[in-house]
Amino acid sequence: MASMMSAHLSKDFFDLVKAIGESKSKQQEDRIISDEVQTLKKKMPEAKISRKKMKEFLVRLIYVEMLGHDAAFGYIRAIELAASKNLIQKRVGYLCSGLCLSPDHEFRFMLVNQLQQDMTSSNFLEVAAALGATIRLATTDMIPPLLAHVVKLLQHDRELVRKKTVMVLHRFHRLDASAVSHLGPQMRRTLCDKDPSVMAASLCLLHAQITEKPLGFKELVPSFVSILKQIVEHRLPRDFDYHRMPAPWAQLRLLRILALLGRADQSTSEGMYEVLGDVIRRADTGINVGYAIVYECVRTVTTIYPNNNLLDEAARAIARFLGSENHNLKYLGITGLAQVVEQHPKYAAEHQLAVIDCLSSVDDTLKRKTLDLLYRMMNPVNVEFIASKLVESLEQSTDDFLRRALVSRLCTAAERFAPSNAWYVATIVRVMELAGELVPNEVAQQMLSLVAEGGEEGDADALRADAVDRFVGMLHREVVPDGLFHVLAWVLGEFAQLSSESASVAEAIATLAADDARLKGAPRARELLLTALIKLAAQSDDINTKAALRSLAERFASSSNIELQQRALEALNLLDASTEDSGLLEDALPYDASLEDPLDGVVTGEGEDRNGGDALGFLDRFVASALNAGAAPYQKPVDDENETESESEEETSNFKFEAYAEPQKPGRRVQQTSYPMGDSTENDEEIARRLQEAEYANQPPQRTTARGGNAIGSGGGLAAASGPWGAPRQPVAPTPAAPRPAAAPTQQQRAPTPTEPEEKTAEQAEKERMAAALFGGVGAATAAAPRRAPRKASNASSRQASRSPPPPAPPPAPEPSLLDLGAPEEPPAPAPPPPPVSDLLGDLSAPAPAPVPPPSTASDPFAAFDGLSLTEATPSTAFAPEKLTTADFGGRWGPTKHEKRAEVSLTPTQTTPDAVAAGLAKVGAVLVEAIPATRELILAATHTPTAAICLWHVKLLATSAALVTVRSPNPEVARLALEASVGALSSSA
Amino acid sequence: MAIKFVLMVNKQGQTRLSTYYEWLSMPERVALEAEIIRTCLSRSEFQCSFVEYRGYKVVYRRYASLFFIVGVDQDGENELGILEFIHALVETLDKYFESVCELDIMFNLEKAHFILDEMVVDGCVVETNKVNILKPIALMEKASEEKLFAR
Repeated sequence: MASMMSAHLSKDFFDLVKAIGESKSKQQEDRIISDEVQTLKKKMPEAKISRKKMKEFLVRLIYVEMLGHDAAFGYIRAIELAASKNLIQKRVGYLCSGLCLSPDHEFRFMLVNQLQQDMTSSNFLEVAAALGATIRLATTDMIPPLLAHVVKLLQHDRELVRKKTVMVLHRFHRLDASAVSHLGPQMRRTLCDKDPSVMAASLCLLHAQITEKPLGFKELVPSFVSILKQIVEHRLPRDFDYHRMPAPWAQLRLLRILALLGRADQSTSEGMYEVLGDVIRRADTGINVGYAIVYECVRTVTTIYPNNNLLDEAARAIARFLGSENHNLKYLGITGLAQVVEQHPKYAAEHQLAVIDCLSSVDDTLKRKTLDLLYRMMNPVNVEFIASKLVESLEQSTDDFLRRALVSRLCTAAERFAPSNAWYVATIVRVMELAGELVPNEVAQQMLSLVAEGGEEGDADALRADAVDRFVGMLHREVVPDGLFHVLAWVLGEFAQLSSESASVAEAIATLAADDARLKGAPRARELLLTALIKLAAQSDDINTKAALRSLAERFASSSNIELQQRALEALNLLDASTEDSGLLEDALPYDASLEDPLDGVVTGEGEDRNGGDALGFLDRFVASALNAGAAPYQKPVDDENETESESEEETSNFKFEAYAEPQKPGRRVQQTSYPMGDSTENDEEIARRLQEAEYANQPPQRTTARGGNAIGSGGGLAAASGPWGAPRQPVAPTPAAPRPAAAPTQQQRAPTPTEPEEKTAEQAEKERMAAALFGGVGAATAAAPRRAPRKASNASSRQASRSPPPPAPPPAPEPSLLDLGAPEEPPAPAPPPPPVSDLLGDLSAPAPAPVPPPSTASDPFAAFDGLSLTEATPSTAFAPEKLTTADFGGRWGPTKHEKRAEVSLTPTQTTPDAVAAGLAKVGAVLVEAIPATRELILAATHTPTAAICLWHVKLLATSAALVTVRSPNPEVARLALEASVGALSSSA
Repeated sequence: MAIKFVLMVNKQGQTRLSTYYEWLSMPERVALEAEIIRTCLSRSEFQCSFVEYRGYKVVYRRYASLFFIVGVDQDGENELGILEFIHALVETLDKYFESVCELDIMFNLEKAHFILDEMVVDGCVVETNKVNILKPIALMEKASEEKLFAR
């Protein structure tokens, strides 16, 4: 350590540094610096100060600024000192200017003259000082006066000067690339400088240019390759070694340059393979800097045109990083894997346990990187698991950048891979709850559209009731999440009557709307809640609801918030009017009319003739009297002609088929009518399903306007759903097929394909279970890989299609009619609903005259919170065989939300698919299909006491075990089925 | 490109050296330094040396009481390479100061800056050859007849 007392230090300086060093708190430090500012202010302007003393003052000034205090009063002294003949003084002058002057500070330009002068000095140290200062201080305006001097210095005989000159050009290039673009050849020539450090600087300069425009530099690849080769072969002077690794940072930069140049360019990439192999092998010496190079090689290898040998090499390196105890290396492993996994998913499978480890790591950096990795690995099978992890992370995070990233990832995940509508809604609502302010409006719109349409799964009310329950719970919270008011108020206003406790909902809304403390910071909440309550009052016969509305409206009728006042007065008027005309309120705000075009029928004055005429029917009398009084009848806009014509085809009268989504129509038609397997237009049922989902998730924004006529109803700025293309009016003849039939190979993909066989120890079981959830679509890499690409492509194109102006065609069948809820045309579930179920559910949902959900696989809103009674009712495990096609099975698997899973050991004689199928037949499950290639089985049965369907997926593992997954809409049934299966398989052993 | 700032902060959170390769206003710097050191201090030595902070990737390494902290942009930079660069910087300071400590940097703040300015230019690691780094500084001291310190 150097001695404390230096010859050149004054006592003042020593005392200052000592005081700063000994200060115990920020406050104390601030006091010291404030005093110092006063001292400097007083002393620096004194006339007879020596330059040596001034240099010290400037260092003190650097301290002042570094510790957060303004020292602008002394900047001019720094400019002056730069003119000193003494080198150190000059450099301190420049240093202080460079650290303190903001880019727009006028003093910067005052240095141009001095810089020019120093650049022409005969003392190369002065030249180097000026160049260093130029890098710090140059602005775009300073380039022209300096450039000529700088270019000359490229020929300077000192390598230090040439090196700095190259970096000045780097700076100029960043400031204004056009200012130095004419220097292209000269800049390239610096790469051939005989001095390695100039060459290294040149790499920085070229790297910056290549990043912007790789195309112009392809011919340099052989040069870069040869430089890299020379470096790894130790041809540079030993001084450039770091821990015996030759010029590691130059290697890193070369690797990055090669990655840029080799991307998507096979012939260029081929020129690099050999040297990359060399680099990766020679760098692997067990020291950190070597690992840094290996990691950079991994990134390069995964960026350029792929080479299998190098990829394997990279995968081995990643495996070693992941296996390391050192967290820094683990980090490289995870980020490296994320690099590889998108293009080469097969490499992920072998690292599943390491990834799970990192996910549960206490190291938040590792965790965050693992989430990145998971996001890139996401597919329809593992999306639920991964999304749950992302949500967890969102719950815990306070970092705005991270939250933003998580929200956008979750929205994308939900949009691309949602296994069911209920899950989609639940996920989006949860994200809005956690970070409403970060969720884009369109995402909320899409979610509401879906709720309004009730989804495609055959049970609109289940989806809606599910959403309602979610929001009812929130009404009672201490703090209602800010970003949620729009959706909350809308959903409750539209569908609260589906809630099992609908009576209390109105009350809860009224209470919340009147609660100042809880609504603080949500200025529009009141209006939205009031609107919701108006709608509820319209749809309910409950006197209490109307009373609650009246008292709330009276309270707000004189509000200073004009919007709120308006709504309150409207509410009162409606209430008053409805005492005379009891149907009026209902007519104005009909239930579940959000998808109807309110102007439909009314505008033509022939409301009764059109099935939509009730929307504004209450205006009929007004219209009639106006007509009688001589008013001109309403003229239809010309462009409605088409629609009138198409009325002959009655079922399409509400759709603008002609105008929208032409390209997708034929495919959809086929789907509605033909057996899915024969659907050649879309070639993959899965693609069709994705298309469908993507469209749901991308409902175009025009929807908002279509609802305008329903003045109060549309209330919130977030008017959801509707649009003439919303849904077919007449019940689409439902095919008995499951809502989402899937072709056999697809099903295999979607099923929770368990992990590659591996040795298992008992304590690993849980991890492996997670891994199985996670690596679902990835594990069967070879099978999955080829299918990924087309699906991605189709997904992307479908999205593009749905984003383009013409809105998508109506959701395809088998889609229950949204507007005829409760009508007998519900799609018949394959399992006939036996009476006991309805009774049971009827009891449970006593207060709400809610439509009885069909006991199909569609998510059952009651199942979630009535496990208790079900348990009582189902002591037996009687399962009746259920005949399903593979396609049916596939369609049901995704939406069926309750899953139980276990691993069962089998005796060696029982490990054939046939034996397992026989074992499960004892339980009552009937084989749907066996897939010998992957040793998977799917089976189905109906739980007779509850009529709940039960789906089995069995994967035979190489370890004489079977991974049994059971799904059922009813959690209790899933549990029973799994227990029975485990029993049957073990006993057969 | 690449490196956005280099900080030396002690474990009491007091900044000993700071340099930024992209301009930040003083209040922004003060806030950033305080938050980053808080983050670094909250991490154990078994956790990895990289943290994400705002839009930066922050790479840090602790030497006795002093944290060396380098902020790089989100994409592209090799984290482990930066971590090793920190070590190269410390080795160079060590060579110059002969077993460097916090006080050496405090008493010779400008010299520490000079050394760093040789190694990192415009956000790029350009020089790690210790001879190349220290020679110009030695020549400059000789020309200015100013020794580092009396021994």
